[in-house]
Parts: sequence; C-alpha cells; structure tokens
Amino acid sequence: MTPQNSNPLQDQTRRQFFGRCGMGLGSIALASLLSENRLNAAPDPRFQNPLAPRQPHLAPKAKNIIYMFMAGGPSQLELFDYKPKLAELNGQPIPQSFIEGKRFAFMDSSHGIKLLGSRRSFKQHGQNGMWVSDLFPNIATVTDDAAFVMTCATNLFNHAPAKLFMNTGSGLFGRPSMGAWVTYGIGSEANDLPGFVVLQSGPRGPRGGSVNWGSGFLPTTFQGVPFRGTGEPILNLTSPETIDAARQRRTLDTIRDLNLKRLVDTGDPEITTRIASYEMAFKMQSSAPELIDLSGESEATLKLYGAERGKPSYASNCLLARRLVERGVRFVQLYHANWDSHGGPGENLEDDLPKVCREVDQGSAALVKDLKARGLLDDTLVIWGGEFGRTPMGENREKTGRNHHIDAFTMWFAGGGTNPGAIIGQTDELGFSPSKDRCHVHDIHATILHLLGLEHTALTFRFQGRDFRLTDVEGNLIPGLIA
Amino acid sequence: MCLLRTLILALVGAASIHSAAPPDGVGGHWAFKGPVRPALPTMPHHASQIVNPIDAFILARMQQEGLLPSPEADHYTLIRRVSLDLTGLPPSIAEVEAFVNDSRPDAYALLVERLLDSPRHGERWARWWLDVARYADSNGYSIDAPRAIWLYRDWVIHAMNRDLPFDQFVIEQLAGDMLPNATAEQKIATGFHRNTQINQEGGIDGEQFRVESVVDRLATTGTAFLGLTIACAQCHDHKFDPIAQKEYYRLFAFFNNQDEPRLEMANPKLDHAALDAERDALTLELKEHLNDAAARIEKEENGLTPGAIERQSRPVKEALKVQSDKRTFKQRRVVYLALGGNDQEFKAKEERLSEVENGTARLISTLVMEERKEPRETHVHIKGDFTRNGDKVTPGVPAALHPIRPTRAETTSQSPDEKAGQALDRSVSPDSGLNRLDFARWIASPENPLLARVIVNRVWQQYFGKGIVQTENDFGTQGLPPSHPELLDWLAVEFMENGWSLKDLHRLIVGSSTYRQSSAARPDLASKDPSNSQLARQNRLRLDAELVRDVALRASGLLTDAIGGPSVHPPQPDGVMSLGQVKREWKADATENRYRRGMYTFFFRATPHPALAVFDAPDSFSACSRRLRSNTPLQSLTLLNDEAFFEFAQGLADRVLREAPGTDSDRLKHAFRLCLSRPPQPDELTSLQTLLDTEREELGMNSGNKGCWLTIARVLLNLDETITRE
Repeated sequence: MTPQNSNPLQDQTRRQFFGRCGMGLGSIALASLLSENRLNAAPDPRFQNPLAPRQPHLAPKAKNIIYMFMAGGPSQLELFDYKPKLAELNGQPIPQSFIEGKRFAFMDSSHGIKLLGSRRSFKQHGQNGMWVSDLFPNIATVTDDAAFVMTCATNLFNHAPAKLFMNTGSGLFGRPSMGAWVTYGIGSEANDLPGFVVLQSGPRGPRGGSVNWGSGFLPTTFQGVPFRGTGEPILNLTSPETIDAARQRRTLDTIRDLNLKRLVDTGDPEITTRIASYEMAFKMQSSAPELIDLSGESEATLKLYGAERGKPSYASNCLLARRLVERGVRFVQLYHANWDSHGGPGENLEDDLPKVCREVDQGSAALVKDLKARGLLDDTLVIWGGEFGRTPMGENREKTGRNHHIDAFTMWFAGGGTNPGAIIGQTDELGFSPSKDRCHVHDIHATILHLLGLEHTALTFRFQGRDFRLTDVEGNLIPGLIA
Repeated sequence: MCLLRTLILALVGAASIHSAAPPDGVGGHWAFKGPVRPALPTMPHHASQIVNPIDAFILARMQQEGLLPSPEADHYTLIRRVSLDLTGLPPSIAEVEAFVNDSRPDAYALLVERLLDSPRHGERWARWWLDVARYADSNGYSIDAPRAIWLYRDWVIHAMNRDLPFDQFVIEQLAGDMLPNATAEQKIATGFHRNTQINQEGGIDGEQFRVESVVDRLATTGTAFLGLTIACAQCHDHKFDPIAQKEYYRLFAFFNNQDEPRLEMANPKLDHAALDAERDALTLELKEHLNDAAARIEKEENGLTPGAIERQSRPVKEALKVQSDKRTFKQRRVVYLALGGNDQEFKAKEERLSEVENGTARLISTLVMEERKEPRETHVHIKGDFTRNGDKVTPGVPAALHPIRPTRAETTSQSPDEKAGQALDRSVSPDSGLNRLDFARWIASPENPLLARVIVNRVWQQYFGKGIVQTENDFGTQGLPPSHPELLDWLAVEFMENGWSLKDLHRLIVGSSTYRQSSAARPDLASKDPSNSQLARQNRLRLDAELVRDVALRASGLLTDAIGGPSVHPPQPDGVMSLGQVKREWKADATENRYRRGMYTFFFRATPHPALAVFDAPDSFSACSRRLRSNTPLQSLTLLNDEAFFEFAQGLADRVLREAPGTDSDRLKHAFRLCLSRPPQPDELTSLQTLLDTEREELGMNSGNKGCWLTIARVLLNLDETITRE
C-alpha cells in the first residue's frame, strides 16, 4: 500500500470491504465517499458521497444560501413596518377588535395591552419606496435589491422553540435543520470545506445552541459546522510541529483503513461520518487558513463591510460568508444576538436596539452589495430575519420594550431568484396581524427550497416509518417572493 | 419562568392556557399518577435470556414486534463497555486479561462490584449529575470571573461513591443548611443552587440578578427533579394567567429567602510556599503596572474636583490624603482601582493579591445557601417586572401535584436538640408555615410521581443513549410517552423501594442481558426498528467530552490519579481566552495537574476549554439533561493536532517502547490494547505494521524508533472505536 496514494480506496481494500460488508447503504455511500470518481447518475443521494453536489428536482435559481439569523426577535416596528397609526394611539389600550378571536396565550398578563408607537423616524427608500427606519441607514440603500416579507408568521413564542421552528419547521428536538436538509438534498460544491457552516457573533450564541444547526434524524454528515465566535474561528488547523503534510496523510490513511474495518464489523453509519470528518479535517488544514485570512481582501472591501482584520465581528462574519460561498459552501448561517428588546437592562428600545442595529447594519448591506458587484448575488440567496417579531403593545420595565410576537414580523431576502424590490404582504394599521398575504414559516421554507430547485413535498426522509419533510404537511410557495 | 409555563402546559394542555379556570383533568396524564409496580411479563421461551426483570419487559415488547435480541457482546467489548459506563475509564490490560480468563459463573457480577467500588465510579456519575447542576468554575455573564465551588463538585463525587440515598441527596442539595445540626458537608451540598451565574457588570441592579438567579433555580429544579422544563428553556419573561402566575410565585417563594454566603474552612493541604511565591509574583507585577501608570494616575488625580474626591469610598479618600510618593503599596492599588479606568485585569489580580495577603486565600471556600433570619416577602411580579409587586403570596406547590406537608413540627419533636428546632422556627416563612426544607422533602417524597421516574430514565439514557421517555426533560403532556411504560414504572418503584440506591440501579441495568447485548447493526433491524427503540441490540455511543480526554490519558499512562480538589488548567490553544470581555489568563499547568481527568478542567462559562466544547460538553448556563452527540471535522482536528492530545500520543509511544517486549508485533498489540482493550485482528495488525514500516523508511532509523511509534500512537488515539463505547 502506498500511503500517499491520491485515491485512498485501493482495489484490494475495496474488494475486502465489500466482501466483509453485510450492510447495504452506508457502506456503499462510503465507498463512493472514498472514491474520487463521483457518479452523479445514481438518483438516490444515499448511494453517493453524501456531500457530492446533486441535481435538484427543478432548474435552480439559487445555488447557495447565506442566512443572517437575528437571534432574539428584532422589532419590525422599529425597523421596517412603519405604522403612523400606532404612534397616534400611543399609550391607549389595543382595541378589542384587533385581538378578538386571535390565539395568543397569556394575553392578559404577559403582553402589555397599551400600544407603543415607535419613536424611530422612518423614510421611504429606493424605487420600491420601502420604509426603513433611521436605525438601518445602510440596509436602506439595498431595498431595491431585496424583497421584504412584511407578514411572516410563526407558531411558537419562546426563544429556543421558536428558533428551532424557524430552523427545522418544528419546535421539537430531533428534526433536521434547513441547512442539513439542503446539503442532504443537493450536497455541496465545496470539496475542502464543510457544506454547511455556522458563524456566530455578539455576546453569546443562540438559545438552544447546536440543535439549531443539527441534522436531526438525517445522517450526522449533514449537520452544520460551527466556527468559533471569539478568538480564532477554527482551532488546531496546524499539524504538530514535527508532523509534515505527508506524515499527517499517512497517519490519516491508516486511521481511515482501521475505521473502515470497524464500519464493516459494526455497520454503524456514524463511522461513515467519522471517516468523512477526518478527510474534511485534513482538507481544512490546507483550505481553512486561506479562507479565514482576510489579508487578500482590499481595504475598500474591508471598509465596505466595516470589518477589521483579526477582530471577530458580525461584519467580518459577513465577509467570511461571502468567502465561504465563493469556495462552494452550500449553506452559511450567521447568528447575531441580542435582539430581545423587552425593555430591561441591555434590552431596551432606546439604547440597546440602536446598538445591535449598528452591529449588523453595515455588514448586512455590504454583503448584498459585494455579492452583487462580484456577480454572486444571482445564485446566492441572502436571508435576514429572527425567530419572531415584537408586539405593537409596549412593555415598560426599566425602559421601554416590546414582547415577543408571532403573528406578523418582517424578514428580507435578496438574490438567488427572489424578486428584487418586492414588498410582500401587509399588516393592519397597528402592525398586529397580516391584512394581506400571511406568510407562515412553512411557506417561507417551501419557497427557499423552491429557489434551490427543490420541491418541498419531494425532499423527504423516511424515519420511523414515516416520510418527513422540512415543511411537515404544510407549506405553500410565496409567489411574490419569486422573480 | 419556564417551570410554570411547563407545569401549565403539562397540566392543562396548550389549548386552554389562557383560560382562567383552574386546571382540571390533570389526573389523566400518566406522569402525574404515581408509579405502581407492574406484574412481570411471563416469557417462558426466553428464560435463558432473562437475567432480571428489565429483560422480561424488553423481551415482551420485542416479541410483540417480532424481533429477537442480539447475542451478548464478547468479553473484551463487555469489560470495556461496563468500565467506561461505571468509571469513565477503560480497563487496564491486566484487568481485561483477568476478566476474559475468568470462567467463574459470576465473573461479570464480580467485575461490576469491583467497578462500583472504585472511587472512579463517583467521578463518572458525578459528572452526570453536574450537567443538570450547571456546575462551572466561573461566574458567567460577560465578566465571567473565576469562582471556587469545587467543594460542591467533590461532595457530589463523594455522594456517588458512598451511594448516598438519592432522596437524601436531593434534600441535602436543596436544603442541607436547614437540616437539624447541619454538617459542613450538608451545607456544601447546597452549592447545587449556587451554580447560578453572577453578574458583576458595572451599573447593574443587584435585585434584578438576584431574581434572575431565583428563576434559574426554579427552572433547574424542574429539569433536574421533575422533568418539567421542556424546550422553553430560556423564556425569560412570559407571564401567565392569574392563577397559574400565583402558583409560580408560590414556588418562587421557597427560593426567595436565602442569603448567598461563602463557606470558608481551613485547608489541610495548603501549599504555603506556593502562595508566598504567588504573592511575590503578583506584587512585582502590580508594582510594575502601577509605575507604568503613575503619570496617568497623577494626571487623573490632579483633575479631581473636591466633590469628586468626596464621592470616593473611604479607603480611597484616605489614600488620596497621603502624598503620592508616600503611599503604601495597598494605597497605591486602591487609588489605581478608583482612577485607572475599568481595568478588569488589574482588578482581578489585585483581588487575588489581597486574598493572599489577608489570609483568605489560605482557606478553602465554597458557595452555599443560607436561610435569612428575616424572611423576604414574595409578591407576584406584575408583568414579570421585579420592581412592581402585585399580590403577596406564601410558599406553596401547584395543586395539581402531590400535597406538601410541613415537617417542622416532626423534626422538632423528634430532635432532642431544642436549639435546632428554634433555629428552624426562625426560618419559617410567614403564613403558610412552609419553608425550603419542606419543599426539599416534598420533592424527595415517595409520593412524588415524577422524581423516581425522571431519575431512572436519565440513568437509563446514559446506558442506552436515549431514555425510556425520549423527551427526558418533558414528562408533561407535550412530551413523548414512554417506549416501555411498565419498565419505567417497575424501575421507579424498585429504585424507591431499594432505599433510593443509585448503585443498586446501576447494578440492575448493567446486569441485564439487554445491556450486555452486542451493539452491532443487524440488517433485519435496519428495516424493522431503525432507531432501535426496542433495544434488540445495544447502541454504540461516542464518549462524553471529558471521557474522550480520559481514555487518551489513561492509554498514554500519563493520567494523574488524584480525585477532587481545585480545578486545573491543562494546555489549550492560543486565542481562546484573549477575546472575552475581560482578558483572562490561562497558564497551563506544568506538573501532575496537567494530566487530570477532563472533569477537573477549569470551566470558564464564557470561554470553555475548546476540547470539551467541541465534543458537546454543556455550556453550564442552564441545566442540561441530555448531551448532544455531534460528529464534526473540528473534533478530528482536535484529536489530531491539539497540543494536549499530541502529548498523550507521545506518552503512549514512550509507554509502548518502555513496557512492551521488542518485536513490532508485540508492541503493536500492546499499544492497540491500551487504547481499545481488545487484541487487534490480523488485518488491523497488518495495516499498522505497514504504516510502521513506511514510517521507518520515511523518517529514517536515526530520527528514532520513537517517531514511528508516535505515528502509531496518533493513529490509535484517533480511531472511532477509541472514543466510542461499543
């Protein structure tokens, strides 16, 4: 055996492997994973390298996704959903007609009942006349590239389950996240980086942590790989001093051979993932230092994002996200906290919301502009939004805030076959409920998959006797969002 | 306020949450009815496979599903499995040899007894409990200063080792300080609820964070003992309809009446020389820092108005009165702290130096609970706002659960010590006459329908990868029903009737033939029971983060045997500590503390050790009742390249050359068995021999035999099987 052989699966090993192997699918997937020869002909994704790029059901408009997840629930009423009537009725109880027949738990005590008008100043921007508040001077400059959905709706009103719901279509643990579904469905173009990468910034990670990018019942190969939010984004990329690349490769080849034998003996698909993880780790040792090194980026680009070399921030994560999709990574998710503006210390609308807005405004807008300038926006879908929005009624604590609101909130999308400049849906004059075109999370998921060329009803995985989908048994395309 | 929401969801169902009607129909949900010992299924055809009742319940269901159990795992797998499960460490080669050659019929039972008696058992199962206790060595929030609460961690280890009855284990943690004649140990146990975060940011409202820690204590109590916090883990301020809200605050009231002191005691093992050296080093460092900053501080001082001086604390005022070059070292430090800007690094070092100087550092301290002599009143917080009090409430428990009884009178009459009774009297909350000790006894009561079920389920989860109730943190109506309800109830009743002995429970589970099955996948099961819910085989489980380290340490021969003591600082990569809000030092230990088990690694909540975090160690911000098992390239990078794991590989290479006789084959077998316990199969040996030969050629004989063996050691420590419980 030649340890440095570029085709790691020797014929002999292959024969031995199939000879000993009693377990079907996992091992065949593995054989293909280890083979350089990627066969796209087989229709069943499980028969290939699990992360090899695959043809979707339809002609795709988007190839990649960058999802800017605003953890905590940004207040649409301070940012995008301009409601002069709410300001007019500031301090008055919400009229019964708005809330009658609506399902919301704890109405009497948990939500304040007095309306709170936004104190931000709003202006219309771009050709589409989209209202954006003074908190987002940069995002206001890309409204013609973006499509705004004013009437997003979700089911769950606590952070951790609502984040799960937005990511997996269910509030229960154990379902795959959207990034896992997507890489399961169409693989990844990146050979030497994970197909699904998670970037984090802000004071802490999102509630619920890694279940938000988990693979649920899908094979663990499809889970998101979280880069670190502080310090070095990826640790241990350098081999120990005395270990050169050839020696590392020889070491890995034997690890792989022995793991393979163990896979054959136990039939545990988890070993397939372990083997793939080691192969990816080796590749990342060469690819990742270049990826995270921003020295090749021009000063103009850094300035556009507001990023500084060597300083982790949301802005540098946005830049990193562009670099990841340039290198073929299928799904990049950025988390930034904290948007939970209840009015308490560190969470008020007066000072803390403007602060978190400043942290994300420039980077978010820069990403759209930069992708566009580089011709990447056409096939990169950019998503911006939180797990829910905030109530038109105020919460008075130390300062003012708003409570969680699941009936209507704003998300925006850009590129990847979305309809530039579109404004979809409309809320009532207080911003409480959709008055036109409610877009539920399941609808949003269906539409995102559609843009990638995936039929949400056909992207399924059989688990415990049932075919599961990201959209459960629901989901309708949002026509206005699609160009 | 999760607990309350959970209770309500659990009790009345989401549909009627906003209804003001009191919850009824609660009794229908299985988990709120106490467990009754069910009859054992009769399984005449499987008599040989039934070692104990667990197997009867499991096999009965399997039979219904048309499944057959797997054969027992081979003896090598079995001893490694049960050693990892009971002690967190793989067996030594000698232990393996002894077991596989032991033909006595009770060889396995004897092995289990040996492992249960090992002090390592307490470490292993303490870590299981510390997950729900959200144990960590720092205060959390953004400042995240270090804290000392490891005596609590050691108390848990000791409790597991002496098999403290679980009901007592609960009572001492929730209210050990209130027991008559409470011992120091019982007070230390109350550290359970001192594992809350502490906010040390400037300008915060102390009362707000006190209230937040009470909220966390309730949420943790719900998760740890009642299995009732579900996924709304961090909903911080949903408020509830009046009745439910009131019940929540009645529970809140039990935890609203404590002071949060430190318990200090003499340290018999103190190294005075080390402290003196630390004092000298800190003195030097701080003096240098003060000299560097002298001009800046002088400028600040000259700019102070009389009013600004007046607003300073007394020691600062005193110091400012002294001419700057005549000030004592302490006075210079005090002035710098007041005028030097918010220099957290200096502050931390100064605090430490003061502790060393004034002798506090020569004591061991730990965080404990203490009941206030003057009880706080508890009110409903209007809209969850701690500054706006609504109706006053008395301590009490939700009507839907079993009744609570004041045990004070009994205690007093049973106790010959009048003073103990009086001490308790003072701490009784007004009106309801119930206090935290009553609450602890209510939780630990055999009438509690949840506690025993929740605990046996979480123990089961540790052995099989998932619980009988898969939603281990939600036994309410929103959770999944048990896969084997009779088994769950049988185990719960057995647990209580065996005097709440965890060791008996371990013995029962690891003794069952269900546990001892092979974990190899079976084609027939892949289609009939892909998630293995019927347990027709064991599950392969990737080891917990701490154990990934422990196994490598043990194989390398470097492991330091000490149990307990202050947390330690093994090496970690650069760039982990540097970017928290406060720059904290991480100076890797050079001596035996470099090689302690993973559970002793100092855990900063804001910047946890990456080798733990990457293998899914919980973040310790809130109670964790189940760890995830991810499988990422970042884990591979850690095992391949991390300084600590490379050092373990070097240790293993040295060990093999030192211990094993001269032939390659013997050495390879020895190395293999140190990592995997079993002997290698011929083709595995061939792979390793081929690599060894290549390494010799590539590295040249001169660069040392050691280099080749280092490569072999790295391979073995990186194998999937090495970090897996088969």
